[in-house]
Amino acid sequence: MDSQYIDHAMVLAGILFCLGLVGVMVRRNLLFMMISIEVMLNAAGLAFIAAGSAWGQPEGQIMFLAVITLGAAEVAVGLGLTLLLFRHHNSVNVDQLNQLRG
Amino acid sequence: MNWLALTSLMPLLLVASISVILLLLLAFIRDHKLTCWITCLGLAMAAFWAFADMGDAPQQVTPLLIMDDFSRLLGGTVLLVSLACGWMSYTYLETADEIREEYYILLSLAALGACVLVASNHFASMFIGLELMSVSLFAMVGYMAHSKQQANMTLEAGVKYMVLSGVSSSFLLFGVALIYAYAGNLNIDLLVAAEGPRLQSGYLVIGSALLLVGVAFKMSWIPFHMWTPDVYQGAPAPVTGFLAGAVKVAVFAFAMRWLMMAQGGYLDLLLLGLTVMAVLSMVVGNLLALRQNNLKRLLGYSSIAHMGYIIVTLAASATLGAAALSTALEAAAIYLITYASMTMLAFAVISQLAAQDRRFESGTLAHYQGLLYQQPLLAGALMLAMLALAGMPLTAGFIGKYYLVLVAVDSQLWLLLSLLVLGSSLGLYYYLRVILVLCKTPVGDSRLTLGASEKLLLTLLVAVTLWLGLYPTPAIQWVQLAIQ
Repeated sequence: MDSQYIDHAMVLAGILFCLGLVGVMVRRNLLFMMISIEVMLNAAGLAFIAAGSAWGQPEGQIMFLAVITLGAAEVAVGLGLTLLLFRHHNSVNVDQLNQLRG
Repeated sequence: MNWLALTSLMPLLLVASISVILLLLLAFIRDHKLTCWITCLGLAMAAFWAFADMGDAPQQVTPLLIMDDFSRLLGGTVLLVSLACGWMSYTYLETADEIREEYYILLSLAALGACVLVASNHFASMFIGLELMSVSLFAMVGYMAHSKQQANMTLEAGVKYMVLSGVSSSFLLFGVALIYAYAGNLNIDLLVAAEGPRLQSGYLVIGSALLLVGVAFKMSWIPFHMWTPDVYQGAPAPVTGFLAGAVKVAVFAFAMRWLMMAQGGYLDLLLLGLTVMAVLSMVVGNLLALRQNNLKRLLGYSSIAHMGYIIVTLAASATLGAAALSTALEAAAIYLITYASMTMLAFAVISQLAAQDRRFESGTLAHYQGLLYQQPLLAGALMLAMLALAGMPLTAGFIGKYYLVLVAVDSQLWLLLSLLVLGSSLGLYYYLRVILVLCKTPVGDSRLTLGASEKLLLTLLVAVTLWLGLYPTPAIQWVQLAIQ
């Protein structure tokens, strides 16, 4: 890949990453927060693929597979916590989690 | 992979086999005591193997993992911390209204992740180790979610830890991707980076900064500390012990490999960031700890401050380069070991108390009033832990702090040194306040009981904390051997 295009790909990944970060900070619904984290993770994955293709190496794609796997593992545990949250509070709004402070 | 490489990897394989054995075993027999025994025995064997291998030649096992004396020393420390954590979990879980056995699978997986993180010299294995540790910890932090008295707090802590850990992993990964774009190689040591179309060093600068942010989240350096006090307070006490001991040791071991041994980051920029985080963590961490009224929360802020102190070693090696490297590495390793011993002592006491009455971990300091007269052994151990955390001579904490001051003077980091001293004197106030509460006249006359195995665990931890303070020579020699 031309190095000009890797810059483009990196900018795209950076924008996606920032969108995900904003999503985590603004959203109060745990499901959407997890989706935003997923967007951030996949932005990192896109950056890996772009870098790997610029170097003509398979490492970038291997790391992307690792990222997807991590995303799946995190969602598995995260959904479990979301279910528990729903059972306790009858909604998945994280603002209800306000006992620990100080 | 040859036989030698395989045997040098044995500590990791042992820990991995614990989780597999437990998974299979739990399909047939559910026995809390047996599960705990298998976990503790496996972790002890793995730690013994790691320490017994010290002095052997370094083994590069595939491009991903390196088993040198550094990995063996800090990996062994992480395993011992996990062992103490598994040991103290027994009484704690025994009194919980919750399924107990799966906890030990998560614990051994988290310990495995921490060991992989310590032994990694490739970003892929670093990432896998870190995530193996973190994802297991989400579940451990939120473990008591079905228990009637603890559900709300543990759930809140679990959700907070999951969200912030996910964000920090994304930062870390994006940073690694940018570093990879610059270097063309995922090896932590940039000196062995591939030759070829090196991209602009802007990628390295931004990548290193993002990776540092990811590390800072895990090390709870201010301003990335938001989760720490809440998670420390809400998580079950033994899990908080693991978070405070093993996680910090493992992540800092990676930071040492990345920034000190391999010089794989963009150090000029990082030095500024590190100094800012050190200053904030030392000052704000200690100031916020002053007005805490929950012991676990207080220890959370105290760990922020302690992790701020240890940045001195990173800053020293960044300022002086290779000249200060061996002293800085030695200081960092000794500080981590002493910190792990005294933190585990404090959390072992809290776990044993919380096992009998959960208000000891969720309530205010007032519950500890007069503990010295009700349960002298536990109160004495807690006092020792507090004195050690304050850095009193004759305890482990003094040796760690002594080394940090030594390094700061050597590399003339006067700002960090003065804040270290200031922070330690602030720390004295809130540590002594805990001791004062322990010595007051008791309000009730509740008698606490203590089993033989808990007594043994406490005695061992007290012995390690005192031994590191009274006669540190053997430990220092070990560390020096590992750094060479």
